[in-house]
Amino acid sequence: MLAYLLVSGLASGCLYALVAVGLVVVYKSTTVVNFAHGELFMIAGFFAYTLHVLLRVPYLLALLLAVLASFALGMLTERLAYRPLMHAPTISLVLAAVGFSFVLKGLARQLWGGQGDYIPFPPLLGSDPIIFGEIVLVPQQLVVVGGTVLCMLLFAAFFRWTRTGKTMQATAENAKAARLVGIRVERVYALTWGLGAAAAAAAAVLMAPLTFVYPDIGMSLLVKAFAAAVLGGFGSLPGAILGGLSVGVIEQLAGGYLHTSLMEISAFVIIMAVLIVRPTGFLGARGLRRV
Amino acid sequence: MPSIGTRAQVMGAAFVALALFPLVANPYLLYVVNLGLIYVVLAVGLNLLLGFGGQFAFANAALFGIGAYATGLLQVRLQWPYLLAVAAGAVFTTGIGLLVALPALRLSGLYLAMATLAFAQFTQWVLLNWEKVTFGAGGFKIPPPRFDPLPLTSAQGIYYLSLLVAALLAVLAWNIVRSRVGRALVAIRDSELAAEALAIDLARYKTIAFVLSAFYAGIAGALYSATLNFVAPEGFDLFQMVVQFSMVVVGGLGSVWGSVLGAGLLLAMQEGLRAFKGAQEIAFGLLLMLCIIFLPEGLISFLKRHMPGWSEPLRRPDARSDAPPNAPR
Repeated sequence: MLAYLLVSGLASGCLYALVAVGLVVVYKSTTVVNFAHGELFMIAGFFAYTLHVLLRVPYLLALLLAVLASFALGMLTERLAYRPLMHAPTISLVLAAVGFSFVLKGLARQLWGGQGDYIPFPPLLGSDPIIFGEIVLVPQQLVVVGGTVLCMLLFAAFFRWTRTGKTMQATAENAKAARLVGIRVERVYALTWGLGAAAAAAAAVLMAPLTFVYPDIGMSLLVKAFAAAVLGGFGSLPGAILGGLSVGVIEQLAGGYLHTSLMEISAFVIIMAVLIVRPTGFLGARGLRRV
Repeated sequence: MPSIGTRAQVMGAAFVALALFPLVANPYLLYVVNLGLIYVVLAVGLNLLLGFGGQFAFANAALFGIGAYATGLLQVRLQWPYLLAVAAGAVFTTGIGLLVALPALRLSGLYLAMATLAFAQFTQWVLLNWEKVTFGAGGFKIPPPRFDPLPLTSAQGIYYLSLLVAALLAVLAWNIVRSRVGRALVAIRDSELAAEALAIDLARYKTIAFVLSAFYAGIAGALYSATLNFVAPEGFDLFQMVVQFSMVVVGGLGSVWGSVLGAGLLLAMQEGLRAFKGAQEIAFGLLLMLCIIFLPEGLISFLKRHMPGWSEPLRRPDARSDAPPNAPR
């Protein structure tokens, strides 16, 4: 029982980590939490559904195309809901993002299905469970873990070895100084938002066969990703990964040992507990305030 | 722009017109205007937190629901009389609001936003799953309250109660924002650091703003449950929150009278779109976004700018000064 819960917790934790990484990447460079992040995740799921199920594009190609389309959608979000308000108070930014998220949700409902429609999505490797002793695994869970690890490695390589990745780090460190050395800060912001959306999209396509696709998935995923980011220490990328895995495991343990319906609210409990006990999370530094 | 009278005159006239309205209205119109009055309470309360305090929270819709459920359940489960249930519901909601906000308000605004978003989902979960108490997803019916010694039907009684509460709470908010508390909130909104340097206790005033808005939401919920005679979880989801955000933003962040205006306009829009349920999310989301980008001060800014007597200074006009009320400060 315990081993099974741990393994499936780690599998869903991988996805939360991936979504949380997207959230934190945007936060680090723009100090804004993208409240439309969950809806970008949801739309990516529907992109993949349209490509893979309706148009019969192979899974991996559909994944790639959905990630690219979401990258573009992320940049569009930046253009519509962030750039015009860059110098406005944070409240305006959050309100605009919330408005945009409802536009996306409404559109998804119009295009793909209404309330309560859970649209099934076929898995990559068939659906016969694999059994190791007492652990029962769905093949898609292995795909999820593998895919997440690959994405994380790509992310790390991108930030460490590419010029664009380095300009992003520089901008996150100090936007003014980055501008002084000739980095186009606005372009970096747009790329960052696209990158965040792409991470969410990868998670969405990996996850779709396990949870199905539906328009209301966004908000609950955003809250879980935030719980992951807070638990890890907001603003820390390794923290977001650690936090995501922990949220996945905690959720499974709560669901397995206490009550299944507790899975839905463990994110809330985690956020409140972290706020009360240790607001800086596992790896967070005490934040400096910008004056 | 021709003058339509000072704000006090317009609001007074509106109050009288609304007081006489039940004499001519049909039940549907009475219900819609009653809903509008409840939205006024919600929007004014949310604006205290969002527009004046600059604190972003998603809790208002959930607190609205908690107020409605508490009032309804006290009547149905414990047979409390309506007015007592209203008072208890509002106090209970305020307490819950305080419990949620207290840890989050000590950190950056981001935490309040996210903790309250999670709280909104948690509330939905409780309403759906704690069936022994809340009746679950189907909701429950509440007997229409009676106002016995008064010669009023239930709907009329609720209407007058809502009108009275809305007027009182709007005036209360108008006085709060021009008091020490209101000035402290605006100072915090404009710069937390500067406010702290002026010896304003951030956590304390943020908590005051949050508790006030929770109280307003609780009262609004109590009135709402009696207006509909029915409560169900889906009335208090995040879409309800977006409607409330839109009311405050369209009317004008940081303007009590803007919220009154916004509540009326958005209610009209919601009723107009009732037939196109699928379009509502898109319409309200788009409206919220466009208004934030292109009209950040809301519709009230036109009135404030062009109408004598409509400016909203953050202090009471100086009695000794003979300067006109909207002279440049």
